[in-house]
Amino acid sequence: MTAAILLISPMIAAWLPQLEKTPLFGLSIVYWAGLVKSFRQVSITLLATVAITAIITVVIGYFSILWWFFGKTFRSILDVIESIPSILIALFCYAPVSVMLAKNPESSSAILSLMVFIFAAVITSLPEAVRGITLPLAELYHRKYSVSFRAYGFTKAGILLILLNSKAMRDALKRSCAAILLKTLVLDCSFGFIIQIGMGSYGTPAHMSPGALIAANRDAIFTAIERSGRSPIMFWLPSALLVMISLSLLIVLSNKKEATV
Amino acid sequence: MSGAKSDPIKLTNFSVRLGSRLLFDIDEFAPVNGSSTVIIGATGSGKSVLLKAISGLLPTDAFSVKGNMELHGFPAYIDGKKAGFNTWKKIRRAGITFVPAETAQAVNPALSIEQNLNVIAPEARELVESRLNTYFSLDFKKYASKYPDEVSGGELQRITLIILLSHKSDVLFLDEPTVNLDRQLRKRFVEFLNAEILGKDGRTILMVSHDLDFVRSLNMDNIIALENSGLKPMGKLPETEGMAKPKDESEGEAGLVLKKVSQGYLQRSLFGERRTMAFTDLNVNFRPGHIYGITGPSGCGKTSMIRLILRLLDHSTGTVMLNGQDLIALKPTERGHDPLPFKPFRKKIAIVQQDSRFSFFPDLKISASLKKIHQVLSPTTEFDFAALKQLMDKIHLGDAILESYPKSLSSGEMKRMDIVRVLASRPEVILLDEPFAHIDFETRTLVMKAISEYLAESNAILIVVTHEDFDLKYFIQTDYDFPSIIAGSA
Repeated sequence: MTAAILLISPMIAAWLPQLEKTPLFGLSIVYWAGLVKSFRQVSITLLATVAITAIITVVIGYFSILWWFFGKTFRSILDVIESIPSILIALFCYAPVSVMLAKNPESSSAILSLMVFIFAAVITSLPEAVRGITLPLAELYHRKYSVSFRAYGFTKAGILLILLNSKAMRDALKRSCAAILLKTLVLDCSFGFIIQIGMGSYGTPAHMSPGALIAANRDAIFTAIERSGRSPIMFWLPSALLVMISLSLLIVLSNKKEATV
Repeated sequence: MSGAKSDPIKLTNFSVRLGSRLLFDIDEFAPVNGSSTVIIGATGSGKSVLLKAISGLLPTDAFSVKGNMELHGFPAYIDGKKAGFNTWKKIRRAGITFVPAETAQAVNPALSIEQNLNVIAPEARELVESRLNTYFSLDFKKYASKYPDEVSGGELQRITLIILLSHKSDVLFLDEPTVNLDRQLRKRFVEFLNAEILGKDGRTILMVSHDLDFVRSLNMDNIIALENSGLKPMGKLPETEGMAKPKDESEGEAGLVLKKVSQGYLQRSLFGERRTMAFTDLNVNFRPGHIYGITGPSGCGKTSMIRLILRLLDHSTGTVMLNGQDLIALKPTERGHDPLPFKPFRKKIAIVQQDSRFSFFPDLKISASLKKIHQVLSPTTEFDFAALKQLMDKIHLGDAILESYPKSLSSGEMKRMDIVRVLASRPEVILLDEPFAHIDFETRTLVMKAISEYLAESNAILIVVTHEDFDLKYFIQTDYDFPSIIAGSA
């Protein structure tokens, strides 16, 4: 767990006051400010997405097991969502607001853009997250605790609440959250990367993403500093930081404790 | 396969503790290559823990290990520290197979039966097919494309057992392999073990079991008892002796009457779900103060009958009369809550289900679980811990268990605690679904005495679903063979 916290530290460090004004590695202040800003914005995206998705996931997971018809309906909806590539969902979400983003000043556009992206990330993360909760919850209820606890007179709704609060389910939720974070990080960076390559600075999203930063500086690794005026660090630094953060999430995801007898 | 010819297993000053409790401390243990050894012992003595420790499956966060162990000549534990992943990989490659008590745990539910076979024993397809056909009359091809949840528990257990036992390995560990097998299957399993496994292929076999009747029927080379935290070689098995059957002093009318009862369930099929019958036209009466046994092959509907009486199933028809009320009419469907008129029956009917690990709150101490359960059953009264402790004394359960978490109890301790819970709640109908499978014969006799005393005192109705000859010989007063009471009436 310590390793996971260490690896995720760049995201926390991005919020240090004055950091955006103190460039390291000899990088220009403009680039450095952009780098710090992109990691601040991606941390907002990740936190908001994981919080909203986790709440929706727990609610859908609980009612899916409680009411069979609810579960069946939501499974069909989530199956449809899952069949659409995440990047397409993000593009569909931006389409209705693209004009508004272009017309508004930079600060309000960035907020609106973040909100749109968080909405898209929540939708794309939901199917996997809901499955990560409903499968173990259904297993605990139907195969393990339903007979004895119903025979004691507990209601199904009450038993599900007890089970949702059990250590096994808290661990399952923790792993689901790590999966949501990883998926959102990948979506944020790949979406930023593709938009930057496809549309340059005229891309629809008005918030910054490390992925866009990497795309914007991709030629720095092939061209000499003297000719391009850009250091390869501008490409490798955000890439390395993203790898660190992804690794920390993978550590949490694989941290499945051995079952005790 | 390593082809190692000496000491496939070697323990030196090997001990395991659960918290402060010493489970065993073994000076030296090294079964001869190619021999078969059975370790017997009382419930909770640590037999399964020993087997899991040797096979590298012991959870390191709950148990503390000291001493040294070698497997196939590789150092598996050095001064209590488990060797790393690479060493255990070499050990597994050299060939060890662990057959758990709940064999269904060994299969991956996300893979079909055939895919599971390809993962566990890809080399043994033909052997699995012929063994299943010869000993259990099962056609593997019929089940190959099905997923584990699409076959019955009994079928899955037989298939998994044969797959695991057909995997080529030099060392074979068997953890209470018969706990979930019915009488017929147990007989066939004994035939299979004697004919195909024991003394064949030069395999070293280490088995733990509390079932002395089962062990007696096997051709084992060595018998060792795990007692007083040590291993003690035994020349022969101790005689099994239960209590004298309780006298049948009950008389009068039946207390629980099942009339023309049928139970259906929905089964997945190509075109959605279709209704299938678990059993039809069941007529049976149960008198108070009498001990009834329900026997029959796995999957014949015994457990469904228990759940039907508890009113935890849909698609039930007929009448189940208790105290002059029809339980099916009071609660025709299971929607996750009980209608008001049915609620008093929750206190009157109690169950000990097959797996008692799920009878208590997973994250609460046993005492806290008991209080919570009591609050639901009898919200106006305080839980009587004094009466509970008296019952625990009768079956040799220490008070310390009340302050333990479910995960730290052995399956036998958990089962006994579950039975004590039921007796302490003073029900009118007690339903026991294979209650003694995890309990050794000596402790089982104590539990049976405690239940008999409760029956004599309360005149309750007792129905026991069982597979065990021991229970029929020493405890059950009337045995109903389930398939025959469906056809006729009892």
